[in-house]
Amino acid sequence: MAAASPLRLWLTTSEPRSRMQARLGGLYQGFRRLARNPTAVVGLAVVVLLVLVAAFAPLLATHSPTAGGDLRTERLLPPGPVFWLGTDDQARDIYSRIIYGSRLTLTVVVLVTVIATPIGLAIGTISGYFGGWIDRVLMRITDIFLAFPRLVLALAFVAALGPGIENAIIAIAITAWPPYARLARAETLTIRNSDFIHAVRLQGGSSTRILLKHVVPLCLSSVTVRVTLDMAGIILTAAGLGFLGLGAQPPTPEWGTMIAQGRRFLIDQWWVAAMPGIAIFVVSLGFNLLGDGLRDVLDPRSVR
Amino acid sequence: MTAPLVEVEDLSVAFDLPDGRIEAVRGVSFTLGRERLGIVGESGSGKSQTGRALLGLTARNGTVSAKRLAFDGIDLLRASERERRALRGSRMTMVMQDPRYSLNPVMTVEQQIVEAYRAHRRASRAEARGAALAMLQSVRIDQPERVMALYPHELSGGMGQRVMIAMMLITDPELLVADEPTSALDVTVRGEVLRILDALVAERGMGLILISHDLELVASFCDRVLVMYAGRIVEELRADALHDAKHPYTRGLIGCLPRLDRDSHPLPVLDRDPAWAL
Amino acid sequence: MAEPLLTIDDLRVTFGLGRLHVAAVEGVSLRLGEGESLGLVGESGSGKSTVLRAITGLAPVAGGTIRLAGEPVRLPRGMDFYRTVQMVFQDPFASLHPRHTVDQILAEPLAIHRVADAEARIVAALAEVGLGPSYRFRYPHQLSGGQRQRVAIARALVLRPRLVLLDEPTSALDASVQAEILNLLETLRREFGLSYLLVSHDLAVVAHLCERLVVMRRGRVVEETTAEALRRGTVGEAYTRAMLTASKGFSREAGTGTG
Repeated sequence: MAAASPLRLWLTTSEPRSRMQARLGGLYQGFRRLARNPTAVVGLAVVVLLVLVAAFAPLLATHSPTAGGDLRTERLLPPGPVFWLGTDDQARDIYSRIIYGSRLTLTVVVLVTVIATPIGLAIGTISGYFGGWIDRVLMRITDIFLAFPRLVLALAFVAALGPGIENAIIAIAITAWPPYARLARAETLTIRNSDFIHAVRLQGGSSTRILLKHVVPLCLSSVTVRVTLDMAGIILTAAGLGFLGLGAQPPTPEWGTMIAQGRRFLIDQWWVAAMPGIAIFVVSLGFNLLGDGLRDVLDPRSVR
Repeated sequence: MTAPLVEVEDLSVAFDLPDGRIEAVRGVSFTLGRERLGIVGESGSGKSQTGRALLGLTARNGTVSAKRLAFDGIDLLRASERERRALRGSRMTMVMQDPRYSLNPVMTVEQQIVEAYRAHRRASRAEARGAALAMLQSVRIDQPERVMALYPHELSGGMGQRVMIAMMLITDPELLVADEPTSALDVTVRGEVLRILDALVAERGMGLILISHDLELVASFCDRVLVMYAGRIVEELRADALHDAKHPYTRGLIGCLPRLDRDSHPLPVLDRDPAWAL
Repeated sequence: MAEPLLTIDDLRVTFGLGRLHVAAVEGVSLRLGEGESLGLVGESGSGKSTVLRAITGLAPVAGGTIRLAGEPVRLPRGMDFYRTVQMVFQDPFASLHPRHTVDQILAEPLAIHRVADAEARIVAALAEVGLGPSYRFRYPHQLSGGQRQRVAIARALVLRPRLVLLDEPTSALDASVQAEILNLLETLRREFGLSYLLVSHDLAVVAHLCERLVVMRRGRVVEETTAEALRRGTVGEAYTRAMLTASKGFSREAGTGTG
């Protein structure tokens, strides 16, 4: 990155000449702030790695994730040159199963985000913006959901809907949104009375417009930070449900389920449970580090 | 001849920010006796940072350097943080712009003044309370007993600033730095607060540095005025000779204000010469 | 004789209920003709800003009438109202959306009112307030206080209103920047035949920009006078006189006898 590279100058100019340039310049500034924080870069690298591994799983895997090998000779082998991370009791390659398991983890993360974030944002901003009885009703509903321990409520949902990864995702999403709603409401309460919102109202902007174009984008950054920080918990809940046999069903290579199956061999064949455990640990940590870094970049209070 | 109360020679304050280094104050020198000195400038001129550096209240990411920075002969650059803290509050003190932010919201007026007093003096609670009452009377608060029991949010702006002044002056300091002490106040209250400040400074023979953006106000209150621009002193004036100002910046600053005794349309605007900032 | 542009009769605004009941404005009446400019002067708590907010519908009206060109204003205000009346706020740091570029800020009112030639209007609005096209895609944090206030003025004028409400438009700015903004407001008023309702605590600013002014105290009108009379010092009420004296700077003599 040369000091006078024309691209960099174009991105950092104080006089952008188009909407596109202004937006890219803003993104670049954000990226530079993120890049200045080494732990955030590590977190970002882990998350990017997870996405790449999930995308190229068939190329990276050395064996089939579901079909076992010879049960007489290839069962519960320790890590070695053929089976890099060893095999499990069905003679399946643990390395390949972890690689494919990343797809499930990523699915859980993406779907929960896609479901829970909009619900939380919508309820929080509407509640904060309109206030009055709307606020009271929505916040009591939020309180009810907040009052249940996440895993227990997820258990109840899975018990009602039947075990399976889809139901686990729905269950987690339903229990994940209340904190986002609270956060978005708190942000909205401070934004609502600011002069720039008054200005839009004086231009005749409708409540929908103010919420969607002005309030939500400002809440988005703090909610994004919170969601990223929550990811570790969500991955752990998904793994926990898998571990309890209520999430992904065998032979699906899900990390939590894999730990549950390895539990029986914990003393003699530690790698069966430890390898997926390490995967969960690394990915959770990655999301946490990234979340902390994003907080520095996106926190509205850090923007001058 | 005795040494001046404050000696400042070649004072610089710089801040390290992620986007680079900002030099807020660059080579400022002045001395202060037991007199009223005004520092005037617009936002970003370094006037507040000059006052803060003197008291040792520069923010953490700032560095202060000077050839000499002395208070009553004490070299402030060599003094330890502890020594400076002992000086601050007892012998030198500061009144800031908005009393709502500089008073502790969960303590009553009495608690705050008594604490300020006892932090620097060995005194019983009763003595401190007596001193606080007397001090509130001297800032012309009518019912000091009643006001002592109030919390900051129950005070009006002018009352809050008077309490602030009382709290800052209770230790009988020799130097008071007042940073925009009346900018948050209504214009009719402003005069009253300034007169109280003026009387106290005169009575106790204190040195006062009044920092403000309001040239007219400073000139009508102080003996001498320093005009700052972009971190430097561009001109030093006797307050009664304000209208003989030589520097184009000072003249521009005087000229650009709308006045009741002169109707000029359009108002003259300040043409900033980049050479002023060199 | 034509109807005044803005007529306010016996306006009352109250906040809170029961013990917390506060009357912010108690029976204020004023008239503002087309192309005229009226100042509302008072100290904090006088209710001067509340009058502006009541006109725009941001503060609840408890009594009295507000008429715009003879027509009583409705609640909620209609789109026509917003095309006729716009406002400039005191703090240019708080009145611009922190994450929107100048371009987005100016495009917003045009999009709400479905104005056709938005592109040309944005460029023109920037030119009117003396900002070059290079400012168009900057974010507020890349602008100085004076430049931000220019953007806020451009936003208020982009819909071509007839009445602009100015809420202490220069009190957050440095003196030299204040002069620039006051000159700009004067030029724009002449150019577009605007009417101003200016709220300020500074008598000199009001006298500079307005022909007539209303002095308010504790929610009521104390005195209605002209800038001319203010300059001559021929004001009727003691309160106005006190403000006038105080605004002339600090004087040691005034202190004797009070206390």
